[in-house]
Amino acid sequence: MTSSQSPTDNLLTQLSDAMAAAVARAGSGTVLVDGRRRMPASGIAYASGQILTANHVVERDEDISVTLPDGTQVPASVAGRDSGSDLALLQIKGAKAAVIESAPDEARVGQLVLALGRPSPEGIQASLGVISAVGGPVRTGRGGLLERYLRTDAIPYPGFSGGPLVDTAGRVVGLNTSGLARGASLVIPIRLAAQIAETLAKHGHIRRGFLGVRTQPVEIPSAQQSALKREQETGLLLVGVEKGSPADQGGLIVGDIIVALAGKPVADPDELLANLVGDIVGKAAPVEVLRGGQPHTLQVTIGERKS
Amino acid sequence: MVSVLELSSNVADALAEVVQRVQRSLVVVHNGRYGAGAGVVWRLGGYIVTNYHVVARGELRVTLPDGRQTEARLVAQEPEWDLALLQVDQADLPGVLIADSRALQTGQIVMAIGHPWGQRGVVTAGIVGGQGKVETRGPRSRQIAYTSVPVIRTDVRLAPGNSGGPLVNAVGAVLGINTMIVGGDLGVAIPSHIVDGFVERSLGDGSGSREVSV
Repeated sequence: MTSSQSPTDNLLTQLSDAMAAAVARAGSGTVLVDGRRRMPASGIAYASGQILTANHVVERDEDISVTLPDGTQVPASVAGRDSGSDLALLQIKGAKAAVIESAPDEARVGQLVLALGRPSPEGIQASLGVISAVGGPVRTGRGGLLERYLRTDAIPYPGFSGGPLVDTAGRVVGLNTSGLARGASLVIPIRLAAQIAETLAKHGHIRRGFLGVRTQPVEIPSAQQSALKREQETGLLLVGVEKGSPADQGGLIVGDIIVALAGKPVADPDELLANLVGDIVGKAAPVEVLRGGQPHTLQVTIGERKS
Repeated sequence: MVSVLELSSNVADALAEVVQRVQRSLVVVHNGRYGAGAGVVWRLGGYIVTNYHVVARGELRVTLPDGRQTEARLVAQEPEWDLALLQVDQADLPGVLIADSRALQTGQIVMAIGHPWGQRGVVTAGIVGGQGKVETRGPRSRQIAYTSVPVIRTDVRLAPGNSGGPLVNAVGAVLGINTMIVGGDLGVAIPSHIVDGFVERSLGDGSGSREVSV
């Protein structure tokens, strides 16, 4: 052998030690969440007394418990939940878990990551992989839209939903869930999850707007683009308007092409969903449409989608 | 700061060195027409550890690291832990380094070396995914008073032919013997301290009183 290094101190052992330390560090902020009939799942100690987890693993509203890394079992209540992003925020009283640290930088494809879970009191569980894709926006059903998502080839073992994906320093990159993409594993970036958690802490749910329309993306001919006085190649053709819905009451009819909502261009269904979230709900907003090739603006009072 | 290229080539060198070290003690265990598994030279004297299910039936032969085939003798077996101890008439085969599996940590790097689907000496890498216990079928003789065995769970990809092969740490010391594949992806290994206890008792140099059928 040509290496002068001692067999117990090579780069591989240093990397190995660093990863074990990362698991220990992030594991102290990874908890067991018991809120469904099947096996328990995982959660992240997100802030003092607050546990962030996947919404689909919290089937009950009551009789939920959280088991901390030291084995203490404490009752938890739902502070907020959002099926559109599959996130739930739980409140625990009295006991404290070490709060996790978020990774400072955006995740990059190829970066080494560890998926962590605590589905059993036997101890922390982990699997290794890389960030295999960064994507978004993606529609998640029920009016949900994730601006950004990550995928990893780290194996999501049963009960890993709600647990963290961490970097080699043990800092949280995202939250793992199998509840958004028909059972396939997806990672919600921690910055996005934190934004949603803030809203859940304040309002208990994410307000998503409701129009009552069925749409289909269509191309806008150049003559009509000049009538709009801007370059916008696509809009949303209304192929259905629900009777009595906010769209119906605002005067939208089948055949209109939605091109903007509240002053923001709408070129595809994702942009419409993205523009329908938050403070706009319950308020009158201008909807710009092409009708007979000419732009018209109608005032529509945005309804709220029931989850 | 170390460049990415330098860093990854240093890690790759370390990996290659570790793998070479382990392969000097890695054998193929054949059991006639019942297929083959892996085995590892546990100590000098030609003592080889493998899985019980690899040697449960058939005529035993072993392919040594240098490619020669030889007959093997079954010294001891422990079906409940899926362990078997063999001996070949090659007293100078180098024994593998043995790590203390009681000190293992979830998240540390591990490699499985074996013969998945008959491919000789294949390495797959991953991490210790967790530690736990697996229920056994329970005591079948009065001397055996246990109903579970501690296991190392790993995310290392395993296939038939990895059975009985070593799971090693970043310096190439054996942390466990790969025994089975649970749920397609999750590998399970019997920790080396359990294996070492089995070997010591089988060779009569331990203090354990547990009877081992020979």
